[in-house]
Amino acid sequence: MALLEVEDLRVAFGAATAVDGVSFAVDEGKVVGLVGESGCGKSVTSLAIMGLLPKGKGRKARAAKSRNGKVPAQAEATGPEGTGPEGAAGDGAVPPGHGGAVAATPQGIAVGRRSNRGGADVSGRAAFDGVDLLTLPPAAMRRRRGADLAMVFQDPLSSLNPVVPVGRQITEVLERHRGLKGDKAVKEAANLLDRVGIPDPLRRLKEYPHQLSGGMRQRVLIAIAVACAPRLLIADEPTTALDVTIQAQILELLKDLVDSEGTALLMITHDLGVVAGICDEVNVLYSGRVVESAPVRDLFARPTHPYTVGLLGSIPRLDLGTHEPLTPIRGSIADVIRWKDGCAFAPRCDRVAPACVEGEPALVGAPHAHRCVMAEEIA
Amino acid sequence: MSTEPQAPEDAEPQVPDEPAPAAEPLLEVEDLEVHFPIRRGIVVERVVGHVRAVDGVGLSVDAGGTYGLVGESGCGKTTFGRAVLRLEEPTAGRVRLGGDEVTALKGERLRRFRSRMQMVFQDPLGSLNPRHNVDMLLAEPLKVHGIGSKEERRKLAVETLDAVGLPKSVMERYPHEFSGGQRQRLGIARALMLRPDLIVCDEPVSALDVSIQAQVMNLLEELQGEFGLTYLVIAHDLAVVRHLSDRVGVMYLGKLVEEADSEAIYENPRHPYTKALLSAVPQPNPEIEATRERIILKGDLPSPANPPSGCRFRTRCPWAEDVCAEVEPEWRETAAGHKVACHFDL
Amino acid sequence: MTTAKIEKLERLIEATATARDAKTGSLWRQSIRRMRRSPMAICGAVIVALFVIVAVLGPWIAPYEASAQTWGKEVFLNRNIFPGPRPENWFGLDHLGRDMFSRMIVGARQTLLVGVVATLIGFLAGAFIGGIAAAAGTFGGRWGERLEAVIMRSVDVALAIPMLLLALSVAALLGPSLSTVMIAVGVAQIPIFARLLRGSMLAQAHSDYVLAAIALGVPKARIVVSHILPNSLGPVIVQATLVLATAIIEAAALSYLGLGNPDPGNPEWGTMLADAQRFLSGAPQLAIYPAVAIIVTALGFTLLGEAMRESLDPRLRRQE
Repeated sequence: MALLEVEDLRVAFGAATAVDGVSFAVDEGKVVGLVGESGCGKSVTSLAIMGLLPKGKGRKARAAKSRNGKVPAQAEATGPEGTGPEGAAGDGAVPPGHGGAVAATPQGIAVGRRSNRGGADVSGRAAFDGVDLLTLPPAAMRRRRGADLAMVFQDPLSSLNPVVPVGRQITEVLERHRGLKGDKAVKEAANLLDRVGIPDPLRRLKEYPHQLSGGMRQRVLIAIAVACAPRLLIADEPTTALDVTIQAQILELLKDLVDSEGTALLMITHDLGVVAGICDEVNVLYSGRVVESAPVRDLFARPTHPYTVGLLGSIPRLDLGTHEPLTPIRGSIADVIRWKDGCAFAPRCDRVAPACVEGEPALVGAPHAHRCVMAEEIA
Repeated sequence: MSTEPQAPEDAEPQVPDEPAPAAEPLLEVEDLEVHFPIRRGIVVERVVGHVRAVDGVGLSVDAGGTYGLVGESGCGKTTFGRAVLRLEEPTAGRVRLGGDEVTALKGERLRRFRSRMQMVFQDPLGSLNPRHNVDMLLAEPLKVHGIGSKEERRKLAVETLDAVGLPKSVMERYPHEFSGGQRQRLGIARALMLRPDLIVCDEPVSALDVSIQAQVMNLLEELQGEFGLTYLVIAHDLAVVRHLSDRVGVMYLGKLVEEADSEAIYENPRHPYTKALLSAVPQPNPEIEATRERIILKGDLPSPANPPSGCRFRTRCPWAEDVCAEVEPEWRETAAGHKVACHFDL
Repeated sequence: MTTAKIEKLERLIEATATARDAKTGSLWRQSIRRMRRSPMAICGAVIVALFVIVAVLGPWIAPYEASAQTWGKEVFLNRNIFPGPRPENWFGLDHLGRDMFSRMIVGARQTLLVGVVATLIGFLAGAFIGGIAAAAGTFGGRWGERLEAVIMRSVDVALAIPMLLLALSVAALLGPSLSTVMIAVGVAQIPIFARLLRGSMLAQAHSDYVLAAIALGVPKARIVVSHILPNSLGPVIVQATLVLATAIIEAAALSYLGLGNPDPGNPEWGTMLADAQRFLSGAPQLAIYPAVAIIVTALGFTLLGEAMRESLDPRLRRQE
């Protein structure tokens, strides 16, 4: 049994569905990637697993019906006010647009209000070591957060409390979850900073987040996340806000953690380069569903879903010549149809066929799974 | 302390000797400096130092060519791009565009001159006035330069929209009604309205989704041929710069450390910083990723207010020796058209 | 080989697209659409609308002449006899035997007038000062920066003076009258508006679209007027709505202190409250009516202002 097993996870914000039945598993000592563009639901997935989404009204079936009773055609991906998949319902994880809705408090992480439209309705299963995290009472979830599972966010500045020295932010976690006090906690905090590669840790402990560089802050966040030796670490675009040379440092650090501690790492990113470098398995998300799932080498060697193929063709690569035209995906991520009508990617797909809009495509095949009815023909 | 004389700038007269004799340089930048004063004091402000955002950068861009300026955040590349367009005031140096001295222009003449040089921004939404619809966005540049009648302006707007791949039906819509990629197309269309010679693209695709980045990059390439544009592309993403540029300059802490043709700089990087940058870019290929040697740089970027002595990169350089702290490396040509600022031949 | 026309797909795309097209129109129109969904905004708007209607139509809908002491003989001040609500006088009589209900209705007009004019004075003068300061500081070079500094320090000084005190001194200078109250309350608001608009404009001045306008060669004056200003007005308009509420309360306070309109034929809620004070023990209702009216009206404007603030909030706007 895998350490984390997510089954048929669904998250809806009012009438807008952000995650539409996502399943995957993460084994101990493995790195699993969730890849996709803004609005694909990757960040919402991670927040749901961590229990960090503001609670909805508890009406799980709500997503099926439009709020103001209009035709159901308006439900799912587009809310009543036309919340496109790019909008509030999405994960908002595109680098500059990210408003920093999520902030880490010393004892764990809390989510600011995503919008004034109320909370999220979450259904499905996210079994951690056999225990479904989605049905865990808040107090029990809080105990697990930080101790068993921890999260690292994209924006290290807004995730740290600006008015508390970083040392206190680390020792607070140690006090709460590991019962360390006073000097012992400080010593351990210094150890942690040392482990994540921060020179002169005792001095750094006294500094405030704004005194640290972006890379340092991300290291501090990782130190907080690993303070209690969590068994699962969720990293949500941990390097997107950083420069390449710093990104390389952070990725190296994460890889090292997985190798030495056997931590399971769920890596959420839009960067296929990062995926290729660090992940063992990859799930490609599009419009709230996994469209392709495979071991990393398989995925890059034999991408099957046209979306994955398109993504790979879109990336400028160092090993391509200058001015060589790229093969982009046409349209924009707002051009979707609902999964139950057919393949959400169909409007942008070059290989679209009538079969693509005859009902929901299923995720088929293992270990290299894809959600494309035309896969056979295309291959 | 506003100017700091620099030895290696006699490289400048050599520019005409470079290969490709057909191409005339459109943009020539000599020894450009942008220093921001650091002010302290509550009642009486005094200057306690300078942030040397750009500290003596010279380069030239051929007409119809693309120069890619790459570097990490804080290296001064954005400030350089803005100073070229006189959106930031250079504290020293010269910028010439097609023979005209941009740095000598003032007031109304500068405003007029702006029609020849334009900019594409990183944040497509932020760079479009949220209260102006497409019609207003595209007509304004023509209006303020007194070009055309209302109908002519509209016609030109529709043509330009078509060139960037947007239908004319969007004329009445507002920026927030578009997707990220479409907004960047709008930003490009606005820059094109005055049919400029030079466009400075500051991180033109980094705010966009992966699948959209490729669309916009292809568009930029198409437009270059169609409108005879010269680009200065500023980006942190080496792959993007590599893809778009003929010539690439690598900036570190306000200075160029290496400059060469695009192929050469990627095939055969000479400066340790370029090597490290190239090795740090994660590539979408697990085979390469598994075998590749990374040069992991230590530490962070030093403060541009107080750059290290000698070679600025020495504090993070894996190959640094004593001489690097003492002597500032010369900006020298190691091979035809390949310039580097390093004491060693690595 | 590829896109043979798939009609079903086109239909599906269209269905999704129409659902999305709800978010069209300019930002103002979007804000209004958002406000229509907010109960707070609706509450505020209803109260404000009611107030405005009463204020405008006052003299025509009031059942009696407001200043007529028709029932003067039924009031006995020394024995604290004030006939309370009854079929012909819904709110009872005041100390001079006038119909309270009519006076309340007619008084709404004065109150609205004071609120609106005072706010307008504060808004226009404040926006002018703040706008000049911001424009000078942004585009005026060294001298502009100095001008801005001088203006803003003066504004700071003005801000440091307690508002009521400032209003009192203005009122004392001009003598008690309705315009005194309006000017006094308005002048007290000037520094707030000046600061707010300047701050808002400076924030916009550093945005990318202003840089883009400079790069396009848009003249500075035009950048200020057509780019910076329209995008800076949101918070100022919100503030104006909130200030309307404050202005009404302050005007009432000044009237209460005897600086308001002495003309008995033109009742005003603050003056009525002041008059009622003398009979508070015997006839508290005389104070309660104008007090409640002031509070509810102020609440209406506050609700509306808060709802506007929320609907114009750039963070929410970004998400759409």
